[in-house]
Amino acid sequence: MSNLQARMQALSEEYTKLQNDLQDAVGSRQRLEAQQQENLGVQKEFQKLKDDETIYKLIGPVLLKQDRAEAESTVNGRLEFIGTEISRLETQIKETQAKIEKKKNEIIQLQTSAQAAAAGQQAVKA
Amino acid sequence: MMSMSRRMLSKEEEETAADEIEVRREDQDKINKFSRLHQHELSIEEEVKAKHKEKEELDDITTELELADEDDVFPYKVGDAYFHVPLEQAQEMLATSSNKLEEEISELEDKLGSIREEMTQLKVDLYARFGKTINLET
Repeated sequence: MSNLQARMQALSEEYTKLQNDLQDAVGSRQRLEAQQQENLGVQKEFQKLKDDETIYKLIGPVLLKQDRAEAESTVNGRLEFIGTEISRLETQIKETQAKIEKKKNEIIQLQTSAQAAAAGQQAVKA
Repeated sequence: MMSMSRRMLSKEEEETAADEIEVRREDQDKINKFSRLHQHELSIEEEVKAKHKEKEELDDITTELELADEDDVFPYKVGDAYFHVPLEQAQEMLATSSNKLEEEISELEDKLGSIREEMTQLKVDLYARFGKTINLET
């Protein structure tokens, strides 16, 4: 009997871990989406800029002049990176969701077989 | 530091242990205190993390300014406004802020140390009294 309980406990812990993994991945993706929006906004602003306008970057409390080409290239690079990260996370999220479903079924199966075993034992006693 | 594996009790262990030790008022107070201290610990750790990040940014800009033109003027953020300051002044202001942050971080880490000491003592007391029936791992 204790063997069944140990297995049940192990499955429960694995299930909880998978759910936490899912939450982490979803949280990360949300943060990335926010960053993406921010960077898209900056990119749009850059497109509106006239040639004689200056770009500044806030580092700590200081606004430092930035070279326009460098600034644009930095933002574009960031957007590319964010894009690939988001795709990677989406795949990870789908995979984790599938694992969660599978684990849930394992747990249900174990529960039903445990109940059947208990019922069987009752019948034998009677 | 004791290293014990704190796992959940099995059904048998739970049955035998449950009716042993009485939780006195002072025990409950200690448990509550431990919990408060832990929350405090987490909050201070967050603060230290944030201040470290701020200090890193200051270090970054300080390095950048070392390469800057002496005659240049920089908008320096004070509250919600920007003030145009010459290079030297910007560097002085950055150094002052950086030192202030270091002091604050140091103070917070001291506080963290004393909180952790208190928590360790409470752990000793509570584990001595309750053994496996209590779990104080954070």
